[in-house]
This record gives sequence, structure tokens and C-alpha cells, in this order.
Amino acid sequence: MYTIGKIAALADVSADTLRYYEKEGLITPASKTAAGYRLYNDEAVRRIRFIKHAQHCGFSLSDVKELLTLKHAESACCADVRSLAIEKKLRIEHKLKALQVMSRALDDLIRSCEGGEQATGDCPILAALENSLRVVSR
Amino acid sequence: MTVKIEVIAAPGCKKCASAQDELRAVAASVLGEGRLVWREVNVLEELDYAVSLGVLAMPAIAVNGELKFSSLPTPEQFRAVLLRLEPR
Repeated sequence: MYTIGKIAALADVSADTLRYYEKEGLITPASKTAAGYRLYNDEAVRRIRFIKHAQHCGFSLSDVKELLTLKHAESACCADVRSLAIEKKLRIEHKLKALQVMSRALDDLIRSCEGGEQATGDCPILAALENSLRVVSR
Repeated sequence: MTVKIEVIAAPGCKKCASAQDELRAVAASVLGEGRLVWREVNVLEELDYAVSLGVLAMPAIAVNGELKFSSLPTPEQFRAVLLRLEPR
């Protein structure tokens, strides 16, 4: 059995993170000492590593909860887990696409301005943003 | 005149496969086989296309290139959308 400090060091997370995981229902201590201190077993170590790895792949804590539910659901199969992973990938691809649009918009703004020392009142980037604000508010 | 219906799903998705036959039958009865272009899109092979349609969950259904359902509709919901289509 591990105390919260020991398991935190083992799994390379903070004790606060572990308490948060517990609040979110992702891990539970195996038992508590007479003084009320949490005690964790090896299964908790494996679960914390699972959570961290899933987060590294882009899964949110609520996704992790779903993954863990699938893991223990008798009616679930590998295709269900795969679908979750594909949907996560779709969301990431959407974000990438939105970021590319932002990046291209910034390219246009940067091209419109040569920099230099003129007053910000003459700055083409600020002017372009002002104009787009006017268009939006119309 | 034709109506293109695309079901975007992952291969191996059992719930998608079983529901597709039923939805296809609904589409054929509403539109007629002659007007129906039915396509099953493998999300992994056409990821960019799925992203361009705005697909975030599967199975999704697009009608004439527009995302209409982000999860499987009931046959009644599907029929209602098809009946509302403008004649093309």
C-alpha cells in the first residue's frame, strides 16, 4: 500500500491531482489508515498511468472516464473504444483546421504591414482589424 | 434530381452497419431508387472530407454534402429530413 505522497511520486503527479482524480471518480483509495490517510494499491498506480497516457493522446478527463467505463463494461467491445479514439482524432483535426485558418488570416495581416516606425494610428494591421470589427457589427 | 446521402462511419462499427440498411430502405422509399445516391464513407480513408463536413461523432449522415445528423437518426427523423428536401 502507498500513501498519497508515495503514489504521487511513483506516478509523477501531485497529491492535489490525485485528490482531484478522486473527486472526479477516476480513482479511489483502496483503504484509509485509522487516522484517515488515504492508502492506494498497485491497481491505482496502473490507473493513474492509464489516465496520464490517455491525456497525452488528447483525451479529456471526461473521455478517460468513458474509456474506463468501457474497459469494465461487459457489453462494450474494442470497436467502441476505437470509435472514441477516432472521434477524438476528428476533434483534433477540426482544431488544426481552425488554427490553419487563423494562421492564414495572420499571414494576410502581416503581409499588409511593413512594420517601421509610423504611428499605430497608421498601422495597417490595426486598421484591418478595425474594419473587420465594423463589418461584424453591421 | 438525385439526392446524395453519405453515411460517415468507422469500419467495424456494428451499430452503424445494422442501422444503415434500415435507413437506406427509408431513403429509397421516400426518394425512389432512381434519385438516390447512397455512399458509405470510411472516416479513416476520408478523414479530411469528414472534417470538412464538420463530423465530430459517428455515425454521421450528410445529405447533398451537408451534415444533417451527428448520430444515428430514427427512421422517422430521417424520413422527415428527406421529405423537407427542396426538389433539385
